[in-house]
Amino acid sequence: MSKRAPKGEYIETDTGNKVARKATLVGTQNIMLGGKTVIQPEVMIRGDLIRTIQASSQSASGAAPNNTAVSIGRYCFLSRGSCLRPPGRLYKGAFTYMPLRMGDHVFVGQGSVIQAAAIGNHVHIGAKVAIGEFAIIKDYVRILDGTVVPPNMVIPSFSIVAGQPARLIGEVPEGGHEAFELRSLYKTVGNNPHPAPS
Amino acid sequence: MAALTPYTYIQCPCADPSTLGHPSGPNAPTDTDADEDDRTFDPRAPRSNYSLYPLEYLLYCEDCHQIRCPRCIAEEIVTYYCPNCLFEVPSSNLRSEGNRCTRNCFQCPICIGPLAITSLETKPNPGLLAASDNTAAPHHGPYALTCSYCHWSSTEVGIKLDKPNNVHAQLARLQNGGATRLTGKERKERRADPSKAQDADGRRRGASRDGQDLDLETQFTNLKTFYQSQLADPESSDSGLAPLGDLGYSSPTSLSRIMHLYTGGGRQDKKAKSRVGAMREALGSGEGLQLAHLDESAAIAALQAAGHDGTASTTQLLEQPPHLGAAHPHGSARLAASLRPIPYLLRTKRSKRCPLCRHIISKPEAKIQTTRFRIRLVAGTYIPSLAIRALSLSSGNPPGPAAAAAAGGLLDPLKPAHFLLTFKNPLFDPIKVTLGAPAATPGRFASRVTVLCPAFEVDANTDVWDEALKDGGGGERDKERGGRERRRRKGEDGGGSGGGGGGGGGQNQLEVGKIWERGRNWVSIVVEVVPASLQAPVGGGQPGLLQEDEDVLEIPMFVRVEWEAEAGGDEVGAVVSRDREAKEKRELAYWCVLGLGRIRQS
Repeated sequence: MSKRAPKGEYIETDTGNKVARKATLVGTQNIMLGGKTVIQPEVMIRGDLIRTIQASSQSASGAAPNNTAVSIGRYCFLSRGSCLRPPGRLYKGAFTYMPLRMGDHVFVGQGSVIQAAAIGNHVHIGAKVAIGEFAIIKDYVRILDGTVVPPNMVIPSFSIVAGQPARLIGEVPEGGHEAFELRSLYKTVGNNPHPAPS
Repeated sequence: MAALTPYTYIQCPCADPSTLGHPSGPNAPTDTDADEDDRTFDPRAPRSNYSLYPLEYLLYCEDCHQIRCPRCIAEEIVTYYCPNCLFEVPSSNLRSEGNRCTRNCFQCPICIGPLAITSLETKPNPGLLAASDNTAAPHHGPYALTCSYCHWSSTEVGIKLDKPNNVHAQLARLQNGGATRLTGKERKERRADPSKAQDADGRRRGASRDGQDLDLETQFTNLKTFYQSQLADPESSDSGLAPLGDLGYSSPTSLSRIMHLYTGGGRQDKKAKSRVGAMREALGSGEGLQLAHLDESAAIAALQAAGHDGTASTTQLLEQPPHLGAAHPHGSARLAASLRPIPYLLRTKRSKRCPLCRHIISKPEAKIQTTRFRIRLVAGTYIPSLAIRALSLSSGNPPGPAAAAAAGGLLDPLKPAHFLLTFKNPLFDPIKVTLGAPAATPGRFASRVTVLCPAFEVDANTDVWDEALKDGGGGERDKERGGRERRRRKGEDGGGSGGGGGGGGGQNQLEVGKIWERGRNWVSIVVEVVPASLQAPVGGGQPGLLQEDEDVLEIPMFVRVEWEAEAGGDEVGAVVSRDREAKEKRELAYWCVLGLGRIRQS
């Protein structure tokens, strides 16, 4: 099947995405990756849960239906066992899924389940976090391990949240913005990873 | 016990009383300098908690050349906004409406999750649905606020809304249970026209005027107007109790007269006469008098009916906004049924100033949606960052205890362990670092500490382009410093106090005075510690019970950084043109605390 004899753990695409062979991506045609994104083994992305009712403006204009279920920006990092699942709800009397949008430099910890409507740039989501349906997470947000973000919650920029249900426990300090950068983390995984900088 | 990841905390100099109010410590010697130098900083002192911060939390004032911590900056609010709807609230609204969102944003009083407005008739006719799913959803009132986390609904406290919008105003008019509640405007009208008030009361409770239950806001406004009238006319002869004449017990004038009968001081009498017309107290509910309900049988009965689960916890009561609970606080807000939806507390964007020179050191963009900062002088771009890593010498030497420490996370008492400290220079000038650490850590259990290389130089940070070109991506970091063109390769000034940077990773020998490893703008040195035994306190005697975190090995370390900066380079437009090449010697000294790990308790 593969031309190269030694198969690496990851498939590396032209745009720099590193997708583990053991990751479960359902409905790949509906998943958009921005590039340089790492998807670790046992990650599940439910691209099959597409919007069943098109927005009225689109159907009226006759444009091709936008079937993107999950869109992910650049330098995102999906840790082992995490799950991205588009949120769904009743819309005009019928159940439909809505797309899940994720910005750049988003870290998703191990075993976290994400059903947010939108996640901004530079977001750190810890391990074993559950993010409820249609939650909106803005930029520079840190969600600590084990947090349960209730559905429909809006988390403004520079928040640190924790707890079940999630509550604001602090603000990201001015000097903490660089810690959200995932460029160096991106280099540490893949088929021939660079060692972590000391 | 859980292992702990090594940490570095930096002490803000503002906590040091000798430097308090002085911009820079070393150049301004004080009388207590000798004492200061001798004393090592004790990270376990109770006060230390208030001055130690991770590097990210610290800012830096470029004019004072000093670290600024969250405790020694002056904050100014740039914008107020609701954290839920992210709408900006103008400060004029803030004054009139208070510091909570007055739109439709509410939190669950039980679990503080966000509340959604849902129609109580969410089940539309299935036949209708099949016929036309494109028509506007048949949402009709009444509406309720529901929590999607704990499934609380405002119907539980008897609140139903007529409209799905303007919820704040609707809630202001509703009591728990659905009874109407007076708004501030109506209350004013009632005061102006007592007959109408009487009428409304008759409808609501049928209570007599004096025994009337006042809600908190009404009582407050009544009391306020009463005292204002008293202040305006202190000489009014109306003591409130006409039949008793001047013997009115509630009148302070009569009280002071009675007191004079006993004290009988003539001089005091004169004084009293000079300030005639003391005020009397409120007498009726119209003046804001509210009799306490000492009969608690109703509350006890309610408690018996609701049980412990039906009571509100202290945290829930604390979350409740003030003045929104309609009833009087006399024992009413004890049950969960009396809790009300909480309007979101507004959040702010704040700019920060140096308290000494009043220069702004951090200023976010005023717009809520943007995360950019106009000014952001963080300490991380001025002082070296310090990373700690356990060092295992297993490659060269036989596997020592340090390897075990690295693996298990716990430090074995009385067995030397090694840690690698990596100083990374963010400045574009080479810096000279001098370290000082006490030979033994302060506290009951003194671990021995040896810094193998206490003085060394760290090369300058290079231009972002180096990193960017290596990266292939656009280097957007350090934008504010992007214009500077200075490259200093490693080993250019090989002399140094560290004796040359020939270290590399190859030599795994611990040598006193040698740098372990050196890179472009970083230097690693080794610290050897011999953790104390937790069985033998310093003064002898029984170790007794360990206090909280007493087994954590924390090393206080004094860091002194010296470098030569361009004179006036940091001050915009000051004296840039006069002496471009002139170098200015700068130094910065501070205490920091290295948390290395927990000592094993045998």
